[in-house]
Amino acid sequence: MSVDALDPTFVAEHDTGAFSRAGVLRRLARDRVAATAALTLTAIVLAAVLAPWIAPYDPYFTDLTKVMQPPSAEHWFGTDNTGRDVLSRVIFGTRNTLMLGLVGVIVGGLVGGMLGILAAYYRRLDGWIMRLVDVMLAFPAILIGLAVAAIFGAGLTAVVIALVVATVPDVARVARGAAVGVMGQEFMEAGRAVGVTDGALIWRYLTLNCISTIFVFLTLRFGQIILIGSALGFLGMGAQPPTAELGMMAAQGRDFLFMAPHIATVPSCAIFVIVLAANLLGDAFRDVLDPRLQT
Amino acid sequence: MGQQIVHRLLISFPALLGVLFLCFCLLQVVPADPAMIIAGPDAKAETIAAIRLELGLDRSIPVQFFEYILRVLRGDLGRSIISNRMVSEELAMTIGPTVELMLGAMLIAVPSGLAFGTLAAVHRGRLADRVIMACSVAGVSMPVFFIGLILIQYVGFKWALLPFTGRTGPVWDGGLPSLILPATTLGLVLIGPIARLTRTAVLEVLGADFVRTARAKGLRETAVIVHHALRNAMIPVVTLIGLQAAFLLGGAVVTETMFSWPGVGRLAVGAIVSSDFPTAQGAIMILAIAFLSINLLVDVLYVYLDPRVARR
Repeated sequence: MSVDALDPTFVAEHDTGAFSRAGVLRRLARDRVAATAALTLTAIVLAAVLAPWIAPYDPYFTDLTKVMQPPSAEHWFGTDNTGRDVLSRVIFGTRNTLMLGLVGVIVGGLVGGMLGILAAYYRRLDGWIMRLVDVMLAFPAILIGLAVAAIFGAGLTAVVIALVVATVPDVARVARGAAVGVMGQEFMEAGRAVGVTDGALIWRYLTLNCISTIFVFLTLRFGQIILIGSALGFLGMGAQPPTAELGMMAAQGRDFLFMAPHIATVPSCAIFVIVLAANLLGDAFRDVLDPRLQT
Repeated sequence: MGQQIVHRLLISFPALLGVLFLCFCLLQVVPADPAMIIAGPDAKAETIAAIRLELGLDRSIPVQFFEYILRVLRGDLGRSIISNRMVSEELAMTIGPTVELMLGAMLIAVPSGLAFGTLAAVHRGRLADRVIMACSVAGVSMPVFFIGLILIQYVGFKWALLPFTGRTGPVWDGGLPSLILPATTLGLVLIGPIARLTRTAVLEVLGADFVRTARAKGLRETAVIVHHALRNAMIPVVTLIGLQAAFLLGGAVVTETMFSWPGVGRLAVGAIVSSDFPTAQGAIMILAIAFLSINLLVDVLYVYLDPRVARR
């Protein structure tokens, strides 16, 4: 019997129907809320990627003759305390905020997923890895951000480290849970019996079968990670002026809240829309791909 | 039950050591020369040497770490570079307000979360359920500071109903008005997740046999829901509140900064911004220990609510 005949992804797909791509997209499209969320998020991501081309003004250009102007036809979201165009700054800020969240989720997901799967595969490592995870869970993300900023100074790096550390332990737990389930499947034993190497077993048999669970969990976490990142920005631990980052922009606008509320409100709304769309999409992904994660 | 708690304490121990080690790194290891930072830019060479000796910087790192733990146990967290007061004094002044803020937020969030969640479960699929769940998703997606900004802008500034900066005193001494806005800001963020989980838990319990029995023996529906369904649904909810402790703590840091609330979070942020390492270290340590303690407390409560856990 060839190893390919035992291909576990094939078994899993037919068992649960999970991760058959066309089916997932079709089911998501049928859910009106999810479709709206997906479209919104796509539009936001496109705007962020194309920021230099679509932003109407230079986000760093100050014009002291147009300070704190309310929204108008010329400046859709008004101008800030130094006369910069708020819309352009929000577009560039979204770019930075999304980047922080993505790096946090992707790096944290890779490290956490690997730790969880290794803990499930090598029983010897299990205790050690899970204790490490427990210790990491003892630090709320905001505290990690504060500590890192205290050590290395505030900046985007401090926020990225905090977001990665905040993602790793939860992902490791979810990945381990999923991997332990897969370890009990017959194809794992079969694979070992026909002499598949450890590396191939871990990657092709174990990881590929856990990926949809990890992916769903990460999409559910993405919104939270964005919120933590922008909170750190708000506290002044992240991007430093004049760099545009949504949380930091909200903090700067707070000083002018009573004279020009739009300076703080617009970036806050932008964060809200991003996180809401991400959460709704995450919920929909979970319902379609992995209903077991439902709470 | 006692055994359970001891077990949990043993698990918390490495985490506590981790917290202490991180804080130790913050002060002793990372700055190029901590003694110079503590002494200030125009200190004499003798002062720096004296501080170095006092901090034990000439010894090896493990020895320094051990001595650091001993100092922390004695309550000696060093002296603030900015205010020149003992860090332990600064912390003692700020812990009260932070605890007050968190309790206030919980007092708002837990009852309303439970009520909304139960309401949604009982009216499953109907309008009330849909509205509550939509609000809950929106609430979960809202940055804490956005809620704070809206409350400050309208309730505090435009309508001038409540104070929105600082703390006028303890709750029992006329401080209640100044607590309302910060506590509401922090509490509102927590209602969503609590309501959502309560709904799931109550739905699950409503299908259980003992609920059918309670109904069959003719109990009123309110009694069935409050005494039978909600009590059992509390178990996952308490766990969730534990998981939300990180959220609560992070939210508290942001809320305190926004409302100039004189708590530990604001102390930490201020100390980091002004490079006051000893204060930052002490404040971060206290916050981390608070987080560990909340989790421990939740575990104990869990055993109390679900006696089956203790017997396992």
